[in-house]
Amino acid sequence: MAKEIVVEHLARVEGHGTIRVLVEDRKVKDVKFEIYEGPRFIEKILVGRRCYEAPDIVARICSICPEPHQVAAVTAIEKALGVTISWQTKMLRELQLLADVISSHALHLYLLSLPDYLGYPDALSMIDKYGREVKLGLQLKRAGNLLKEVISGRPIHGCTVKPGGYTRIPPAEELENLIKPLEESMEGAKLAVKLFSSIDYPETPRHDNIFMAIDPGEHYGFMGDYVLTSTGERYPVDRYKELTNEVTVPHSSAKHSTYKGYPFMVGALPRMMLNKSKLKGQALDMLKDVESKLDAANPLTNNLAQALETVYAVERSIEIINELLSKGLKPEEPIVAKSRRGSGAGGVEAPRGTLYHYYELDDEGRIVKADIVTPTAQNVVNMEKYIRLSAERLLAKGEEKLEPLLEMIVRAYDPCISCSVHMVNVVRLR
Amino acid sequence: MASGKVKVGFYSLTGCAGDLLNILGMEDKLVEIFGNIDLMEFVMASSRVKPGKVDIAFVEGSVTTKKDLETIKRIRENCSKLVAIGDCAIWGGLQASLTGLDPKELMKAVYNTEENYYEFLGEHKALSEIVQVDYELPGCPIEQDEFLQLLIDLLRDVIPEFKDYPVCVECKIREIPCLIVEKGEACLGPITVGGCKARCPYYEAPCISCRGPIKDEANVAGELLMLLEKGWKEQDVVDKLRLFAARYKDISKLIRRV
Ligand code: SF4
Ligand code: SF4
Repeated sequence: MAKEIVVEHLARVEGHGTIRVLVEDRKVKDVKFEIYEGPRFIEKILVGRRCYEAPDIVARICSICPEPHQVAAVTAIEKALGVTISWQTKMLRELQLLADVISSHALHLYLLSLPDYLGYPDALSMIDKYGREVKLGLQLKRAGNLLKEVISGRPIHGCTVKPGGYTRIPPAEELENLIKPLEESMEGAKLAVKLFSSIDYPETPRHDNIFMAIDPGEHYGFMGDYVLTSTGERYPVDRYKELTNEVTVPHSSAKHSTYKGYPFMVGALPRMMLNKSKLKGQALDMLKDVESKLDAANPLTNNLAQALETVYAVERSIEIINELLSKGLKPEEPIVAKSRRGSGAGGVEAPRGTLYHYYELDDEGRIVKADIVTPTAQNVVNMEKYIRLSAERLLAKGEEKLEPLLEMIVRAYDPCISCSVHMVNVVRLR
Repeated sequence: MASGKVKVGFYSLTGCAGDLLNILGMEDKLVEIFGNIDLMEFVMASSRVKPGKVDIAFVEGSVTTKKDLETIKRIRENCSKLVAIGDCAIWGGLQASLTGLDPKELMKAVYNTEENYYEFLGEHKALSEIVQVDYELPGCPIEQDEFLQLLIDLLRDVIPEFKDYPVCVECKIREIPCLIVEKGEACLGPITVGGCKARCPYYEAPCISCRGPIKDEANVAGELLMLLEKGWKEQDVVDKLRLFAARYKDISKLIRRV
């Protein structure tokens, strides 16, 4: 007898999605993680626009990670224009990405995932019993948002980011004022590590997982010119097409991202597994205690990796701010007037994984072609793989109730569905 | 109202979810806000969805797919007051700047297929083009303080007030040097509805009109002429004007004229 198991209105993820598992004779026939977010054709909106408009436009792809979209875009455009940025701009960019990691991970860990593990519909219902957790989670998220506001002008869709730099260099006192909230948010970040390392993760079937992440250089981070794979390779970002190779799968007209034909994962767990030797400070100390809990073959432990990253991000932000303050902030103007023909690709680590932007510009600096490959799009095949494996296992054990675990698996990836600008591949009409 | 509290639902159609996220971003006030309403639905924040009619529905996003169309009609039937929040809901969002282009070509250009997987309606529409909308809160995303004030007014049954003056007024109040006059930048502040406290000019960036035009008041032609006089190219200015309000009648009229 065939039946379809459907987890509709995937809650507590950003955007609209559905998991669909087709079961026949207690066997899994087909798995689909469907996206039915409306198409917004962002890449098309970009075409014909001046390149300095790109950061404002691409921010609107996603409200949870406008910052990585902006940084990836300007990095690509600067390559196309042959522009090099100053040390100060580089530091501010790193801060911008760290701010997004802090607020996005805090949102995901405390508001979206924790309720799962504790059996609540949402974080606010947890307040009576878990008031401290909710309070610290919100405080952590707030620290990230404050940082975003100072650097990019707004926690969502910042307005200061331009190719070559920022429209405004934050005044020293504004940066100084961030130190206290960041320091205070550390408690929430550390609590997250404690919480997510003490959880008994429901087992998903262990299975080899190929990982990818940007090579951050000397210390842990979210920017770089190369991509590392867990198969031991290192690619320049320009070759992103080979890494996110879209292939046609036989069961649908869909196209999926695979690496050499295999599903792969991007995000906090891959970053942690590939770059943990580059951690330092409190995050490194905490990693030592909980390392055995990080399971490369169980995507649910992505949450723990996120928590560790949050500790790192808070500490690193404070470090950068102090460095900027001690060197003194210099006035600087973004280079928006410069225009020339060229093309370039930029890659950054968004909270949910590697994000690529690619642009081609004409002599006036107008965009003639844009290509954006988002982490969610790259993770879809891997998500479906684990949904299938878990569903098969649960069915074999005679369990009927698959939905909660399947939803949990998808949520562990922290999929950001509105960022699926390029994901017609998984859409199936209902 | 069994609980005695006003029943409120939060919904999102096609957009980036930024307006709802900005509501969740009021970390220090969330507990109080949600304590004072009967939260019926907020899928992004909670897996609990309560059945039944709602008193106030806050809706973000444009009407882009067949599903959006069904959803917005269902919400309208189910609520007493419908509030459009954010530029996507009020003007169709930046995706509406594609209005007039062939939907098949759009699918081909971005998704490399002509098949209409999404049941795309062919255009990104504002809520008010489909259903009756009671109030509109502008922004991309909306401003938190404005949302809070609106919510309080609605909960108290006070008729809310909306801004009807340009961003320039707020620049003057904050004593921000004018970007058009001082720097020759193509700032859209003069035709954009205030309420953001001139956020972008404060951060030394020109206003890109993310809050949309001042309804019935915006002197779009005047702004255009002024920027052309300053040496800006017509196409650049028109493109800028179209980004957040392509479905604003005066802009389309103007675009036909130039
Ligand atoms: S109006 Fe802006 S913030 Fe709101 S959903 Fe649309 S793009 Fe996002
Ligand atoms: S200044 Fe203009 S672009 Fe900036 S927030 Fe205000 S309305 Fe939006």
